[in-house]
Amino acid sequence: MKQIWIISAKEFSDRLRSGWVIACTLVWLGAIALTSLFGLVQIGRIGLQGYDRTVVSLLNLVQYLVPLLGLLLGHDLLVGEREDRTLALVLSGGVTRARALVGKFIGGCFALAFPLALGFVISGTAIGLSAKDKAIGSFFTLALSGLLLGVIFLGLGLLISTLCRTRVQALVCALLTWCVAVFAFDLVAMGVVVTANSTQAARQIEETTDATHVTSIADMHQAFESGDAAAARVIADRSQTVATWLALNPVDLFRAVNLPKEANVAVPVPLEVFSIAAWVFIALGGASWKLHRIDL
Amino acid sequence: MAAYLQFNSVTKRFGRTDALKAVKLTVERGQILALLGPNGAGKSTLFGCLLGLLRPNSGNILLQGHPVGATDRFRFGYLPERIALYPHRSVWDNGLFFARLKNSPSQELERQLKRVGLYAVAERPVRQLSKGMLQRLGLAIALCGQPELLVLDEPFNGLDPALLDGLQTILRDENQRGATLLISTHTMSAIEPLATHAAILLQGCLAASGTLEELRAAHEGNSLEAVYHRIARQTRAVAPEEVWA
Repeated sequence: MKQIWIISAKEFSDRLRSGWVIACTLVWLGAIALTSLFGLVQIGRIGLQGYDRTVVSLLNLVQYLVPLLGLLLGHDLLVGEREDRTLALVLSGGVTRARALVGKFIGGCFALAFPLALGFVISGTAIGLSAKDKAIGSFFTLALSGLLLGVIFLGLGLLISTLCRTRVQALVCALLTWCVAVFAFDLVAMGVVVTANSTQAARQIEETTDATHVTSIADMHQAFESGDAAAARVIADRSQTVATWLALNPVDLFRAVNLPKEANVAVPVPLEVFSIAAWVFIALGGASWKLHRIDL
Repeated sequence: MAAYLQFNSVTKRFGRTDALKAVKLTVERGQILALLGPNGAGKSTLFGCLLGLLRPNSGNILLQGHPVGATDRFRFGYLPERIALYPHRSVWDNGLFFARLKNSPSQELERQLKRVGLYAVAERPVRQLSKGMLQRLGLAIALCGQPELLVLDEPFNGLDPALLDGLQTILRDENQRGATLLISTHTMSAIEPLATHAAILLQGCLAASGTLEELRAAHEGNSLEAVYHRIARQTRAVAPEEVWA
């Protein structure tokens, strides 16, 4: 256990020294500030709004940026040390491969969670003070699910890091994974559903994934403005098929969890928990399986 | 009673290349074993298998009768041929990281850095060290925690005569403390005054092993180098195209 903490502390300290944590914090804070201030510009408003409104504005930012940050951090965790030959020296001193992997993962989690959490805390406090909004529930859900989304993609990055032989290979794989998770998966899901002659379910998936696109977000803000809950109901009558498809992709699950309740996107909580646990298990289990088969 | 360290028919293949072919070797506690052989003979591969960095295709390695595991390696010290450390970190930070992984206190690191003559540059980043200094830092890290088995891969490379002499003294002291030493090298003049035993690997096969006296007597050589060349000639030394990294 002590070895795990030594490795994770070194990993975090390396990221701190390299400026990754500080750069990530600045980018994240800047992006949150801009999105929070200008999120309503499509409907002609500028300035900090309440938590519910900010969550809708931040959805795009989190779903695109957080998986990318997780993958960029994770892809280098093991392959870098393998290329530099420092991993061999670490493992030769009685550190098991499983401990090295867990230590790297925990260190990476700290390096990712620190800037994200700091950004959420600062923006959350600013919104609470300026908009005098106390209904922080939706914002808290966004922050927590955003952190979990980052952890899942950090794990996937770590898996890529064990599967690839060089940093360049790992970076290319990480970027491809990001494209698939954020863009391509929805098209594939809809394609499969349409092929199965379930055009209604396909339309529902499209509506869910479209709900975070700029025009749909503008519609949601407009609905908030007019107080017309019916107009904000982007999606209705979810089916179990749709919930399963959404749970298959962590990004879609994140969207579904954070859309306003008027959007009526419901993925059952047990399915949410199972999906998150399964993705972390697949990522770390796969990485462990591969790492135990690598000759250093 | 089981031997201290036993390599039982260890075979390792990289693709179609047989790096080790059923190597059988026994090492008793307190020995200084010189592992000799040309480039690509399998010396580093054998060490890699012992240290858990490579997985043998067949055979096993026993430490006091039990398969070597991660907890056993806690008591090993390892100096790789090409020492790789964290270049942006200082000598002290690098040493402390590896010492703490072995549960060794910072005082022990301080003692070892003084022993190898690097304590004065403890705050210097590793990227600024010369090859010889890097080698000594690797040795200090390997010595932390008073290992009972020291595995040194080409430790004499790139050392000037004064440093070579210092290294020999340290290795002799470690052996007198009770440590068993496995040393692979091409520098036979440096290992001959130290080694109690030698093993010669050629093309992945163990060509000969025994005490230095036994080898000299059996192969009619008056030095380790003469013995090595005689055995290498007898077994038709490695063709260049068969050399692998």
